[in-house]
Amino acid sequence: MSEDILMDIKRDYVLSKIRSGERIDGRKFDEFRPIEVKTNIIEKAEGSALIKLGNTQVIVGVKMQIGEPFPDTPDMGIIITNAELVPLASPTFEPGPPDENSIELARVVDRGIRESEAIDLRKLCIEEGEKVWIIFIDIHALDDDGNLMDASSIAAISALMNTVVPASKFEVGDDFNLPVNDIPISVTSLIVDDKLIVDPSRDEMSVGNNLFTITSNKESNIVAMQKSGSYLLDEEKFYELLDLSVSKAKEIREILINQLKGGENGEN
Amino acid sequence: MRRIVMPGDLIAKNPKVAGYGTYVEKGKVYAKYLGLLDENDTSIRVIPLKGRYIPFPGDVVIGIVREISANGWLVDIYSPYKAFLPVTEYPENSLKNKKINEVLDIGDVIVAKILNIDPKMKVTLTMKDKICKPIRVGRVVVINPARVPRVIGKKGSMIKLLKGELGIQIVVGQNGLIWINGDKKKLNIAEEAIHIIEKEAHTEGLTDRITEFIKSRKGEVCGEAEVNN
Amino acid sequence: MEKPKLIINGKRLDGRDFEELRPIKIQVDVLKRADGSCYLEMGKNKIIAAVYGPREVHPRHLQDPSKAVIRYRYNMAPFSVEERKKPGPDRRSIEISKVSREALEPVIMKELFPRSGIDVFVEVLQADAGTRTACLNAASVALIDAGVMMKGIITSVAVAKVDGHIVLDPMKEEDFYGEADLPVAFLIRNDKIESIALLQMDGKMSVDEVKEGIKLAKKGAMQIYKLQREAIMKKYMEDEEKEEV
Repeated sequence: MSEDILMDIKRDYVLSKIRSGERIDGRKFDEFRPIEVKTNIIEKAEGSALIKLGNTQVIVGVKMQIGEPFPDTPDMGIIITNAELVPLASPTFEPGPPDENSIELARVVDRGIRESEAIDLRKLCIEEGEKVWIIFIDIHALDDDGNLMDASSIAAISALMNTVVPASKFEVGDDFNLPVNDIPISVTSLIVDDKLIVDPSRDEMSVGNNLFTITSNKESNIVAMQKSGSYLLDEEKFYELLDLSVSKAKEIREILINQLKGGENGEN
Repeated sequence: MRRIVMPGDLIAKNPKVAGYGTYVEKGKVYAKYLGLLDENDTSIRVIPLKGRYIPFPGDVVIGIVREISANGWLVDIYSPYKAFLPVTEYPENSLKNKKINEVLDIGDVIVAKILNIDPKMKVTLTMKDKICKPIRVGRVVVINPARVPRVIGKKGSMIKLLKGELGIQIVVGQNGLIWINGDKKKLNIAEEAIHIIEKEAHTEGLTDRITEFIKSRKGEVCGEAEVNN
Repeated sequence: MEKPKLIINGKRLDGRDFEELRPIKIQVDVLKRADGSCYLEMGKNKIIAAVYGPREVHPRHLQDPSKAVIRYRYNMAPFSVEERKKPGPDRRSIEISKVSREALEPVIMKELFPRSGIDVFVEVLQADAGTRTACLNAASVALIDAGVMMKGIITSVAVAKVDGHIVLDPMKEEDFYGEADLPVAFLIRNDKIESIALLQMDGKMSVDEVKEGIKLAKKGAMQIYKLQREAIMKKYMEDEEKEEV
């Protein structure tokens, strides 16, 4: 409840800044917060990553198991993405089963990975119609200072890029690196009046939750989109969002690739 | 025939004429719900075809007492909002030496008037009006609140007809609840007639047909020819 | 399973052109108890929607003192799909319910009914791709039928990329094997598309294809909008026809 009061108090300030062309933390409207990625931080997981997007922190763990394929895709592995907004991450999160926000978060992250075909699921078939690899991507929010969506997407793909398929443990051959072919990047913007503000912080969200997420792949194709929030969006604004998101995604992908190169030992 | 309009239909370009059932944006007047367009030189409004009763000050309503507190009664008025009837809005002479639940008890049906509504839709009732009373006899008929004006008729013509033909008492609540009282067999006829009016609305010659209907039903049910009323 | 050819001789598997909707049937006021209701068919989709309210909200802590609380429940009947669906909300339905509610919320004048609730319940009786858009169309008609105050009318349709072509209103096979699915909903006011109320997408499309998709969706939405209006007119003209002159 005290959180709500703070949000109410901050709203006017945030809004007046935005209307005069500024953000409260001094960023440009199309500027992300600093990104910091550490991989392989959980030894028990087949792949893991901790990402800091400004003060927002998300950890993703990848676990792999063998199971039966879906009947309509007998020769393909399976991705299962789940998100937990644990109460430790925000005073507004409650313990209990996943609510609509965590479900939406997991499903939008999942779509980006799935539809970009970042993972070659055919290479995860062990025995057609019988045995395939199941990839569990578990998103664990640690600190919600805004834009969990993009933080989770980056954490998920980073963890997958560092996942080793534990074949020997299951006695189906030698361990191998999970084949990852693409780096889908989601870009979430907050729409305030007629302005688009990328990577909104928690304080900026005090003006509303009119969000739009666009995920694109390395060829700059759109692979997932989600309008989230109770608002109406102008058609022309949407086209502006499309162009903005694709160009930002390129930039973030470069940053991420550099970080992952430098951070192989968990440090950069 | 009046034009049927739907939410968002542009109905006027002069915001000064905007009446109920409309909203104004950038100087244009739009319909805000499904209804019939009613316009004259000075105003344009939308008569609803459906929808819940939304309280309005001055409306006569019929309600049921649901809760009793130290200073009044909470009344269900068949709307999204329960209404509060403060003890101070009950005629003083009927309160003498009585406990609050002896004046009105849970389940009692009352005719009351909407006194006022605050911006948060807290509705206050009064019973300090001669039409207001607890209902201990007769029965209540429920109709679609959007059809109430039709049951009342032009300048109350339909009510007059029912009263005259059947010799019964009627109070129409704006919330779609109608109290009728009188001879039991005639109440049945009245109830049937009300539902015909609700359904057939302002059909041409409805008054004549209702007169006809009442007379023939009186003949069947009460064994009366069209003699007394 | 091998992906079949979805476009043969410039036509789709069900014989439609790229810019053609499936047949749509809309009936208004089909349920007695609800304040407003609608039965809608869109191809093989069979949808029923009901609206209750504005009404009191229980428990009281769910009330909002400044506006009506809108609830939207998208639900698939267990028999609506080939393999029986486990009853109750799954993650997909919860997400659909969320984005659909968010499409309706800015259109309903909820600030006029503080502390109250407006419930929109939509049941998918038979599913054949595009259920969320069909459901929103039915919900929109049911809201109008309930007399709920709104800025305009919500109309929804999906477009898809199928064998490299952008097509309107994909059916089952196109949804399953196609390259991308893009459901959209628009606010239409006075016969004019005003803004986007819902937009999702999964699959793979270029930026230009997305733009082309939106243009096509607008065309389709205008046709559906006319059918929504006709259905309501038909229902209420019957009642009003005899109105005195």
